[in-house]
Amino acid sequence: MNLVLLDLALLAYVGATALALVHLIQRQDRIHRAASLLTQGGWVVHTLALVVRGVELGRPPLGTLVEAMSVVAWAAVLFTLWAERQYGVKVLGAFVLPLVSVLGVSAAWLPPGLTNLAPALRSAWIWGHVTLAMLGISAFVLNFAGGVMYLLQERQLKAKRPGALYYRLPSLETLDRITYRALTLGFPFLTLGLFLGALWARTAWGSLFTFDPLALLSVLAWLVYAATLGGRAIAGWRGRRAAFFAVVGFGALALTLGAGLLLPGRHGS
Amino acid sequence: MPELFISGLSHKTAPIAVREQLVVEEDKLREILVDLCATGVVSEVMIVSTCNRVEVYGVAEAPGEARALAFRRLGQHRGVDPTSLETLLYTKSGAEAVAHCFRVAASLDSMIIGEPQILGQVKEAFALAQGCQTVGPRLHRLWSRAFGVAKKVRTETELARHAVSVSYAAVELARKIFGSLDGKSVLLIGAGKMGELAAKHLVDQGAFPIFVANRTWRRAQEMARVLAGTPVPFDEWPGALAAVDIVITSTGAPEPIVRKTDVEGALETRRSRPLFFIDIGVPRDVEPGINELETVFSYDIDDLKQVVESNLRERLREAQKAEALVEREVARFVAHGHDLEVVPTIVSLRERLEGIRRGEVAKALENLPDADLRTRQAMDALSQSIVNKILHTPIVKLRESSRSGQGRSWTEMIHELFGLGRGRHDE
Repeated sequence: MNLVLLDLALLAYVGATALALVHLIQRQDRIHRAASLLTQGGWVVHTLALVVRGVELGRPPLGTLVEAMSVVAWAAVLFTLWAERQYGVKVLGAFVLPLVSVLGVSAAWLPPGLTNLAPALRSAWIWGHVTLAMLGISAFVLNFAGGVMYLLQERQLKAKRPGALYYRLPSLETLDRITYRALTLGFPFLTLGLFLGALWARTAWGSLFTFDPLALLSVLAWLVYAATLGGRAIAGWRGRRAAFFAVVGFGALALTLGAGLLLPGRHGS
Repeated sequence: MPELFISGLSHKTAPIAVREQLVVEEDKLREILVDLCATGVVSEVMIVSTCNRVEVYGVAEAPGEARALAFRRLGQHRGVDPTSLETLLYTKSGAEAVAHCFRVAASLDSMIIGEPQILGQVKEAFALAQGCQTVGPRLHRLWSRAFGVAKKVRTETELARHAVSVSYAAVELARKIFGSLDGKSVLLIGAGKMGELAAKHLVDQGAFPIFVANRTWRRAQEMARVLAGTPVPFDEWPGALAAVDIVITSTGAPEPIVRKTDVEGALETRRSRPLFFIDIGVPRDVEPGINELETVFSYDIDDLKQVVESNLRERLREAQKAEALVEREVARFVAHGHDLEVVPTIVSLRERLEGIRRGEVAKALENLPDADLRTRQAMDALSQSIVNKILHTPIVKLRESSRSGQGRSWTEMIHELFGLGRGRHDE
């Protein structure tokens, strides 16, 4: 049941991605409306799929990395729908939805991993740890998309040869605001998520921090985001620099995910 | 039946030397409109007269005659030989006239595609003709739809979105950098006309405060008054670089006056806030290379012209979308127009059969005084469904025939067959 629902949601996301990209090129409002509706529909079905999955498993559907990826996609769609409305930026979907589709499709294709968790992992802590970390990461998907859009628009403005993207992308100011908002949204979640993870590692394994590739890399990503926030607050970093760090931070997160999937460690499935 | 037509000349067919000969003032235009209707050549008429087009929109049995008469009257005023106009005039009727009208209103036929004035001009022309009572139901329907289409084109395409003047292109760039210009401060250096114009546009968009620097203190004060700004002594403007968001330069200085080192110095205290230079001076007032500094954008007059050119290309691209939209609207308008042609016939046909049905049902019930409610209802329903079944195919056929342009012979035949009175109804 939940697999059918999940496939439906994925199909909607992939369709919405295609429409959003067509809208980026053609800029017809009808196409944007269709993309938006499809995204919303996909999100509702996705929500159902997650609930059904949770009921079937008798625990939150966050036990494995692959399950968690699906939740990241789910939350990223939610944040994006919100930001599109909040900032009136119709092309946001064209930059976030491809990532969501890639996340969703790879989550569907990867082996689901162990569904029975080791006893050490059965604790309320872990759900807090994973939920918060995933919410943080999905906000950083938005942060990354905003950063990429900023860098593209800035390049257009510097080059003084307005191309297609110049007309389609919103102002630098708007993009900076989206990027910053996503950063301030994601950072507390990620911080708390990592903190809970570390605390719980001490309870389960007796040490705060033993060698685990995913944990190490996620701390690296956290440091990048912390530096961006600090730079903003103290040195007034905005615009290009903030956008650049949004991309670097997301790169670190992608590495983290890759490490979790490929390298053995406590997070591996 | 009289035909809808449009006839005239525009920047596409006639040189300005001819167009200017045909411009007449409003009073004269009123007179011509009234006269045209009075002669009976046209039943409805309206004239659009701008510097780029002189066009007669009307309803006439013989559009050729109407056009000859209209342009003789328009030219009379300045002694233009009407035969010399003949080769320059175009005439369109039916769906083509509708398409022309929609395209004009949507600014697709303008010299600068998407320029907004034309819509106001045709609205005025329409109001003028309405005032003279030369607008009838057909022109009314045509133009109300045309105004609707123009609005649709404006909201659904970006035909008129991007600036095609240098000073406005600068404002648009500023908006691409700063988003809203509310509360963005501007420094204007020099007294060039174009610089002042750009500054005015910025003020219109909410930019504030405005600082004005000029070598002549009096001139600085004057311009500051015009822009509701503050004059700054000329040798003190570099100090303002740290605080302002937009700098417009248009001086007659032979050398750049904004130096890279000045800007670099200002950047240290700006904390990554973007700084936008609009350099309209020739020779340039802003040293090249400043654009390479982080968070600084510097456009000179050639850069701005380049932006204008790509804006024009963008408009042409949007124009294709708008053309498709207009085409759809024309098809809808024409189809619906044909429907309108047969609607009165359909209505009288229905009324006729309904009358017969009621009469016959009443007669039958008179002979059945004992009939209970259920029987009465059943008879009513039975007769109704027979009428509807019989009418279904003729009505569908009638609608179809009207779309293929043969509605008239069909309506006449139906009026004959069912004895619906006169062959034609008023519109």
